[in-house]
Amino acid sequence: MIHVRRLRKSYQDLQTGTFTALDGISFDAMPGQIYGLLGPNGAGKTTALRILSTVLKPTSGTAVINGFDVNESPEKIRHQIGFVSCNTAIYDRMTAWELVKYFGQLYEMNEDTLQMRMENIFERFQMNDIRNVLGSKMSTGMMQKVSIARSIIHDPPVLIFDEATSGLDILVAREVLRTIEQLADNGKCIIFSSHIMTEVRRLCDRIAIMSHGKILTEGTIGDIVDRYGEKDIEELFFQVILESSRENAEPETAGA
Amino acid sequence: MKWSTVKLIFSREMRDQFRDRRTLFTVAIMPLVLYPLMGMAMLQVAQFMREHPTDIWVVGGENLPSSPALIENGKISSNWVSEKNRKLLRLQGSDEADAQFFSLIKEFKQTPDSNHGSQLVDRLLEQQMEARKVDLAIIIPTSIDDPVAMDLTGEGAPPAKVYVFHNSAEDKSKIAADRVGAILNRWQHAYVEHTLGENNVPSWLIQGIEVNGADVSDKRGRSAAMWSKILPFVVMVWSLTGAFYPAIDLCAGEKERGTFETLLSTPAKRSEIAIGKLMTVVAFSMATALLNMLSMAFTGLFVYSRMTAGIGGMQMGPPPMASLIWLVIALLPISALFSAIALATAAFARSSKEGQYYLVPLMMISMPLMIIPMLPAAALDFGTSLIPVTGLMLLLRSLIEGHYAEALRYFAPVCCVTTICCWVAVRWVVYQFNSETVLFRASERFAVGTWIKSVFNQRHDVPSIGNAFLCCVLILVMKFFIGIAAAEMAPQTFVDLVQITLAVLLAGVLAPTLIMGVMLTTNVWRTLKLARCSVPVACAAAVMAICFHPALMALTELVMKIYPPIGDASQISGMFDGLMQSAPGFWAILLVMAVIPAVVEELAFRGFILSGFERLRNKWQAILLASLFFGMAHSIIQQSIITAFIGIILGVIAVQTRSIIPCMIYHVTHNSLTLILAMVSPDRIESNPMLRNVVHSPDGNGYQYTTFATVAMAVIACGLLGWFLKLQIAEPEEHATVDIASNPADESRNAVESPA
Repeated sequence: MIHVRRLRKSYQDLQTGTFTALDGISFDAMPGQIYGLLGPNGAGKTTALRILSTVLKPTSGTAVINGFDVNESPEKIRHQIGFVSCNTAIYDRMTAWELVKYFGQLYEMNEDTLQMRMENIFERFQMNDIRNVLGSKMSTGMMQKVSIARSIIHDPPVLIFDEATSGLDILVAREVLRTIEQLADNGKCIIFSSHIMTEVRRLCDRIAIMSHGKILTEGTIGDIVDRYGEKDIEELFFQVILESSRENAEPETAGA
Repeated sequence: MKWSTVKLIFSREMRDQFRDRRTLFTVAIMPLVLYPLMGMAMLQVAQFMREHPTDIWVVGGENLPSSPALIENGKISSNWVSEKNRKLLRLQGSDEADAQFFSLIKEFKQTPDSNHGSQLVDRLLEQQMEARKVDLAIIIPTSIDDPVAMDLTGEGAPPAKVYVFHNSAEDKSKIAADRVGAILNRWQHAYVEHTLGENNVPSWLIQGIEVNGADVSDKRGRSAAMWSKILPFVVMVWSLTGAFYPAIDLCAGEKERGTFETLLSTPAKRSEIAIGKLMTVVAFSMATALLNMLSMAFTGLFVYSRMTAGIGGMQMGPPPMASLIWLVIALLPISALFSAIALATAAFARSSKEGQYYLVPLMMISMPLMIIPMLPAAALDFGTSLIPVTGLMLLLRSLIEGHYAEALRYFAPVCCVTTICCWVAVRWVVYQFNSETVLFRASERFAVGTWIKSVFNQRHDVPSIGNAFLCCVLILVMKFFIGIAAAEMAPQTFVDLVQITLAVLLAGVLAPTLIMGVMLTTNVWRTLKLARCSVPVACAAAVMAICFHPALMALTELVMKIYPPIGDASQISGMFDGLMQSAPGFWAILLVMAVIPAVVEELAFRGFILSGFERLRNKWQAILLASLFFGMAHSIIQQSIITAFIGIILGVIAVQTRSIIPCMIYHVTHNSLTLILAMVSPDRIESNPMLRNVVHSPDGNGYQYTTFATVAMAVIACGLLGWFLKLQIAEPEEHATVDIASNPADESRNAVESPA
């Protein structure tokens, strides 16, 4: 479903010169699977997800989503994905109903299908009470619900969640996680980035731990636990990051 | 591009803006409510100002003639002023103290003394006027007799005098002087008429020749002339202001809310998003301009008619209907242009607050273009029609004034320039929406310390784009200030000229270039493109300079025709000839006027600056940018246009050969030929039959190239330019000395490779 190969992204910045945000990452994710991208801030998770959602173009490498290459057919990929960013991304001056409808229209959905699907989603997410509530009046939980509704309105086979539970209270976060699980059960391929280990353990079938634009380790949680001999996933995360930092420091010391 | 998507985005944005109170305030509330309120306030203030009475102190009123009487019953006679204004003139009569003061004045005024006495009187009067709180004093020192028959053959007595004193430092006193001056004129004229009547002399004799002036314009024409200046300006200013706030909300605001990213991940193309948003901004810009224009026009009209009605002044008609129609037609390109510029600028901003900071510079850049057409001397001609915004405003002015023939003549150039500007601006918007660096600029705060550290730690062989821009700005600023200082000391001799030229070039151009080259790059040699060039390249540059020279001179002439230089060119030319005559020899002139400027300017513009712009990875963008700044560095507009063209040729040579040596050769040759052509003597030309085919003097005033020579040589020059464009000289390898520690991402290249 998703095949990422040697994906690289660097920026030319007037202030800081060249900055490599993503340095040749590769992974695969299958339908019905939740693939977790873990890493500290600045690891390159958001850049990777932005490339998968075709918002950014890769400097080199490829990513094929549902048979379409991000370099060659970004327009086709956009029909295949739903993207939920780390902020709720809700228009202040639009009601929940208007916003979901607007995105459905952007996905060129048939009017009748759109209406039916909106009714269905609003019912399923218990959002009928907030149909006519403006974005500026919504609570964070409501906003995140609307945001997810917006991203699945066109029933895409791939869903990308970039730190979707960041800043949410425990109740709302739990609800969001449950929704993601349901979506995976329905056969969606989900890419989920986070730095909250408990979420990752609960949700993800496979994970990749990232740092400085690279994937340091990748596999099922069980595989990685076996590989590093550490059962606590939080400790495991620290160990992988620490090891990587040490390896990076060695060539520098040797060269000095 | 799918128009259904554009329409969808446009509808959403329009609805969104209609729900935004700030936008609604700027577009609708302000024009509909604020202007009438301001008008009311102005009327109140005007009422207060207009009815302020004038206090006049009359000294020696008893000396006035009884007929024609100036003062009757302690008031100005109603023969000389309307009843309403008469009430505003309050007279203070003489008393005992006045009598003493009056005798003092009389003494001084009758003494044919120096200014000393007069100044003393003025000081005394000022003190007295202040003490008495009067705005004006009328003093009649000697008795003025009633008009009587007199012996007209004799010399007669000198004319009687009336003194009027006012204080020009005070507005009230100036108003009083205007009011009383008109009254005294009428009274004086009547006195003369009476005197002539008594002596049986017809009064028309004193008028001599009667000069009658008449205003042939009709009321509509007068009204149109006035509105033609005000309305286009109002429309332009408000279309820009009206565009900016929605543009900020639609771009920077959307970035801030995080909705941009989700919008970009939908099937809507960037160009569709950009056009949809642009259409919204255009709609709001037009609505703001129209509502402001109508509200301001009608409020202004009402206020003005109320203010002038009371004093019986001129009446101003409403704006002609045709003018409003022309304005509405012109509003579309104006709003499209300003909206595109505003949207592209706003796309660059990371937040709404940052977006608002860009409003002032944008206004400051646009304002001169809007003010030029309001100047009395501004007229629609080919030159002005080519200036963006200014040309359109002048065309509008002509249309509103009903000068259709003039407007029609320049309609095509104005339309072309406006269309090109709109197209470029729209392209810029789409480019901004496609640019990742613009849409996803780092949102962290700018830290000066980090920036300075990164500038020095991350030096490369050649400067960055930012360094190149900084160098351009430094050169422009330095040249501006040195230019001001140089203008103060007008050169008298050739040595003065040398000093000024060297100061401008060395301190203003070379110093910033070298300092930045040494401090901000690791390879000054490569930065300044000091690599040697081959002999054929050097020769080709020299020949191309010779062959392009006639075409560039023709271009100079054309530019001078379109934008004639202001001031007396012959005077400047005479002064320049004088300076040249004091030169030790032609070699010195060539050195100062041709060689040094060429070397210094090439080091700066084709060296440091072009090297920086080449990092844009688009050689034409780099060449055009460097040429633009090269043109701007020449303060005279005509010179700027020509040097920008030359800059493109020089840029091509520099980029293709990777060396500024051929550029210097071209530049020196070009400058030298220009000097030689200006100083060539007729004997030289006449004695050389070959030269006669190349240059001629059509009006006996200086030489210029013949058409044949211009065309033939331009063909050769273009061939050489083509040869330069085909040159392929490899760019040396970059030796970046990036501080590894400051860029950890580069450091970790050898880290664990992820599974394939």
